Amino acid sequence: MKSDSLGSPNKEEPLLELKSLQTHFFSDEGTARAVDGVSYKILPGETLGVVGESGSGKSVTALSVMQLVPQPPGKIVGGEILFKGQSLLNKTEDEMRKIRGNEIAMIFQEPMTALNPVYTVGDQIIETVRVHRGLDKDEARAHAIHMLTIVGIPSPETRVDEYPHQLSGGMRQRVMIAIAMSCDPSLLIADEPTTALDVTIQAQILDLIRNLQKKAGMSVLLITHDLAVVAEVAHHVAVMYAGKVVEYATVEELFDKPAHPYSHGLFKSLPDLAVDGEPLATIPGMVPPATRFPSGCRFHPRCSIATDRCKTEEPQLDYLEGNTGRTAACHHIDEAAKL
Amino acid sequence: MSKDSLLEVRGLKKYFPIHKGILSRHVGDVKAVDGLDFDLGRQETLSLVGESGCGKTTAGRTLLRLYEPTGGQAIYRPDTDGLEVDLFKISQAEMRDYRRDLQIIFQDPYGSLNPRITVGNTIGEALRVHGVASGQGLNDRVEELLERVGMRAEVSNRYPHEFSGGQRQRIGIARALALNPKLIVCDEAVSALDVSIQAQVINLLKELQDEFGLSYVFIAHDLSVVRYLSDRVAVMYLGRIVEIGTTEEIFKDPQHPYTKALLSAIPIPDPRRRASHIPLTGDVPSPINPPKGCHFAARCSVAESRCFESYPAMVGAAGGHQAACHLLES
Repeated sequence: MKSDSLGSPNKEEPLLELKSLQTHFFSDEGTARAVDGVSYKILPGETLGVVGESGSGKSVTALSVMQLVPQPPGKIVGGEILFKGQSLLNKTEDEMRKIRGNEIAMIFQEPMTALNPVYTVGDQIIETVRVHRGLDKDEARAHAIHMLTIVGIPSPETRVDEYPHQLSGGMRQRVMIAIAMSCDPSLLIADEPTTALDVTIQAQILDLIRNLQKKAGMSVLLITHDLAVVAEVAHHVAVMYAGKVVEYATVEELFDKPAHPYSHGLFKSLPDLAVDGEPLATIPGMVPPATRFPSGCRFHPRCSIATDRCKTEEPQLDYLEGNTGRTAACHHIDEAAKL
Repeated sequence: MSKDSLLEVRGLKKYFPIHKGILSRHVGDVKAVDGLDFDLGRQETLSLVGESGCGKTTAGRTLLRLYEPTGGQAIYRPDTDGLEVDLFKISQAEMRDYRRDLQIIFQDPYGSLNPRITVGNTIGEALRVHGVASGQGLNDRVEELLERVGMRAEVSNRYPHEFSGGQRQRIGIARALALNPKLIVCDEAVSALDVSIQAQVINLLKELQDEFGLSYVFIAHDLSVVRYLSDRVAVMYLGRIVEIGTTEEIFKDPQHPYTKALLSAIPIPDPRRRASHIPLTGDVPSPINPPKGCHFAARCSVAESRCFESYPAMVGAAGGHQAACHLLES
């Protein structure tokens, strides 16, 4: 199921394309440039993994696509969001409401807070399909049971009448997925969907997302801090740092040889790849706060190969030589390859 | 077993009583930890791993008597001179003397530091309470500790909210180190940190272990971190250890079906080698009324009838690689 389009990623019409998206938050303490020029695209039927540490802007980017950024203090101040070729930023709130759920659905990290505790799981699916699909009560209930079956919930006929607190964490995340999938969206945004789950449950949920994607042919935007999760499910990967994408590649390209010094540092810090008895490689310092991003390349204070140019001139995403759609934003990409 | 181990835990139990009705009748117990046996060597790292609810955190806290144990022994040998003390038998007052040897680092670097107390006082409090240092001596020691964990000495007058998660975790480590402990329980100490910061803190924990001869009980659910940091690993399921051995034995040659399933679920950071998971169906049984047979039997793909009849004993060399599974009995 790996993308056949590896050789020609630019020829296929993307399902979702972000162009220099900027979402800022305004407060007395200054402007937080949480998302500050993010560009990436998702092809139909593929999974894009977006990785980055806390504060890199990966979640705010996703909320911007859904136009769920709390406003104020947040505001999309620049760039474009193209979904199926149409700009989402020109849509009215009514039009957006039809797109959310129907076309683009989202699941979150914490399934307990994302589900309403005073409604049964069935009610929450039924509400979604009645609003978006106009099904009558009985049809909607049958659909709810059908969706619970699809996401692998045992005895769905009884579970449909249970409340979220009666379910385990893994079951709740399955219910979230059932709600998200109930209107057959073409894009599923999954924001750290397995971070709060045990590793055994995580494996089940990742399998589920992968299988549903194959069957439904939808695209998935998977946001995670966990590179191993990306390796398991993604086709393409965007690595984010300080409000920007610093590298975009197929998952094989990235894991074979990360191009950007930050991606390289992330891989070196993984305990999985450590040599016994050797200390882990680390990236010195920490992610800068969004109110005080450094000038030039935002990674330069932590980068081992930074030069004076990196302090003043901001690198742009650029195609890498000999590659097909792979991009990275670094002035010293040749030196980075020697890291 | 080995007479020079730092800690010898036998039959560690922690039950939480359930009370019901207006008379608060005792109607049952949550058997969070139900009989753990393990040894901890000097300068050794033993990891307790398992899914949420397996009792690993309760075990760590009971060991330090942050929870009063329901049963069992914890023979502690502070030095190699033969002095032994059962941490579970002594009074809380006597326990105070040993607390300086036994410290803990928590998962949440936000919740575990008092927001109204400066970093310096947070670290120095234990020194003052135990009468180890005061005045300028105390300040010097606090600054020394801060520098040792990679922070600048000047930060001692600042408050926790001024620091990031990784820095707060360093402050928590400095606090744990203040009294020159021999054992630190690390309860998910790096779980909440981003990967680049996590690597920094893991390296720090390793350096401190070598420098001060620390023993760690490392409680974690991230198995790749466990593999990197531990000398030995104990796999827990529903309040009991189902397998224990060296890190290499557990990861390269797991014996218990649960360990195998758990390890197979770890995502592999290599897109060409997608993991083949052993699926686990069903739920963990209730710790209030655990089944009489093997606790894992209902979810086990190779379970036989005897697995539902009796709880299996540990099989394997005492003190070596052991697992509790009927199918390993010859």
